[in-house]
Amino acid sequence: MSELAIELSQVTKRFGPKVAVNAVSLSIPLGQVYGLIGPNGAGKTTAFSMMCGFLHPTSGTLKVMGVAPTTPGALKGKLGALPQDAILPPGWEIGELLTYWARLSGLPQPEREAREALDRVGLTENWFTPTEALSHGMAKRTAMAQALMGKPPLVLLDEPTAGLDPRIAAQVRQLIRDMKGQQTVVVSSHNLQELEELCDGAAILDRGSLVKAGTMSELTGLGAEFRVQIARGDVIPPELTQLPGVTSARMESPTVLLVRFDGQAHKPEEVISRTVAHLLQTGVLILGVTRGQRLEDRVLQIL
Amino acid sequence: MPATLDGLKEIAVIWSAETLRAMRSARTLVLLGLYAMFSLVTLLAIGALLGGGRVSPGALPDLEQLPPVVEGVFKVNLFFLPVYVMLMGFDQISGEVGSRSIRYITLRARLSSLLLGKFLMQASLLVGLVLVIDVGIFLYARYAHPNFTLLAMALNLVKVWLATLVFSLAYVALTTFCSSLFRASGLSLVFNFCLIFGFLLMELAGRYYQGKSLLEYLRFLSPSYYSSNLLSPVLSEFGRSGLAYASFTGLFLGGAYAVLRARDL
Repeated sequence: MSELAIELSQVTKRFGPKVAVNAVSLSIPLGQVYGLIGPNGAGKTTAFSMMCGFLHPTSGTLKVMGVAPTTPGALKGKLGALPQDAILPPGWEIGELLTYWARLSGLPQPEREAREALDRVGLTENWFTPTEALSHGMAKRTAMAQALMGKPPLVLLDEPTAGLDPRIAAQVRQLIRDMKGQQTVVVSSHNLQELEELCDGAAILDRGSLVKAGTMSELTGLGAEFRVQIARGDVIPPELTQLPGVTSARMESPTVLLVRFDGQAHKPEEVISRTVAHLLQTGVLILGVTRGQRLEDRVLQIL
Repeated sequence: MPATLDGLKEIAVIWSAETLRAMRSARTLVLLGLYAMFSLVTLLAIGALLGGGRVSPGALPDLEQLPPVVEGVFKVNLFFLPVYVMLMGFDQISGEVGSRSIRYITLRARLSSLLLGKFLMQASLLVGLVLVIDVGIFLYARYAHPNFTLLAMALNLVKVWLATLVFSLAYVALTTFCSSLFRASGLSLVFNFCLIFGFLLMELAGRYYQGKSLLEYLRFLSPSYYSSNLLSPVLSEFGRSGLAYASFTGLFLGGAYAVLRARDL
């Protein structure tokens, strides 16, 4: 198997005249926690649904864990997924439902798997609760539990914390953190702070197209830019661009200096130290230095 | 595990779980009750039409053939069975596609397993229901005709039961097919009803144009056309009808699978 968990090549999905996903090419390496970012209607859920094999791409090719996801039974045991808008079927108690699904997945101890999964999402006491009686949050946690059963190598989570209260959302984030390094996790979310904290990499989608993809460090510019908050003094940006590694420098606002540098060839600490030293030598007083940019700011800037 | 064995295991798991759920569901119980009552009313009506009353024991020689009352109830039941099957299963697939709960299943099982598991679940319910009702009808026949021998009763019970099953499986498959076509269960129901009605019209038109026009061949396309030979004492005639129903079952299930494979879930 390749080192990629998911590979999209020029994937397009149309619903009638509407293009939901437009020629997206994307690779998600094995073992990463990867984010799908974008505003409403960006194509995140459509892309997610194609990765799970729920939707057929109109054109292009997809491979998930080395196979086409729409091939019947190909992803059994390899993929756990939390679909955003799938309703839990009525007429079941959740313990019984999860045991049924665990049995269908071919897990060796279905009831134990179901109990452990419910335990992980804090629903141990709700074994006998009918699916019709679940609140939105409980239904989401039940759906999350089914995605975790059997510890599949790839887990896709569409908006896992949407609609959850802060305490439960924190539990879910912890679950994702726990999976880090052991399973590949793809998370789609509007909560950019959450994604910045959890993800190793991310793809930004807008109106169906891939706008940017990369490691979180690349996206936030952690290894390529920093900002200096100026307290007093005159900054002369052209002088800074003469420093080794600095590729550009400009005043982003009257008190914030933005410096970009070649992160491949120069270590951030060296470039930052040289820049700060130069500023101090020229009589500029500084209040602080921050590396990169918050993901939220970056996304707002891009979109 | 080899793919075929895994597929069979999936079918068994879906069938057993869905059957348990269906047996607990109020709708199934209500429909079973209604069908049983409908059969009872039919039995009483046909019994009354045929003269009713109980034959005096010893007045007639042993009865080896199917009593007319049973044959009458069988024919009336067969006429309405497609509608009953439709009401029982019109949302078996569309209900899952519409709510997208099918996505939880397709992550774990093949679509073919889902279809066959659901089909077998519906078939199992019918097997049980038809048996219960047939036993009831035959007990009545035995009461009304004390000269109806036990052996003849048992043999005819099996025959009627098998005939009803062969017939109804094709309509369960038709319902599965219609349910696979739409996301909205209501549309599946209406389309299913239209097909049942259409098949009936095709049979009637075929019979009407017999020897008059090419339209006479329409009747061969209607499943209901083949029901007349289901109780035939000639094995080859029953066999031909059975084969026709098996073909319709295969055709409808194949169609349902092709639709589900091609569509977005």
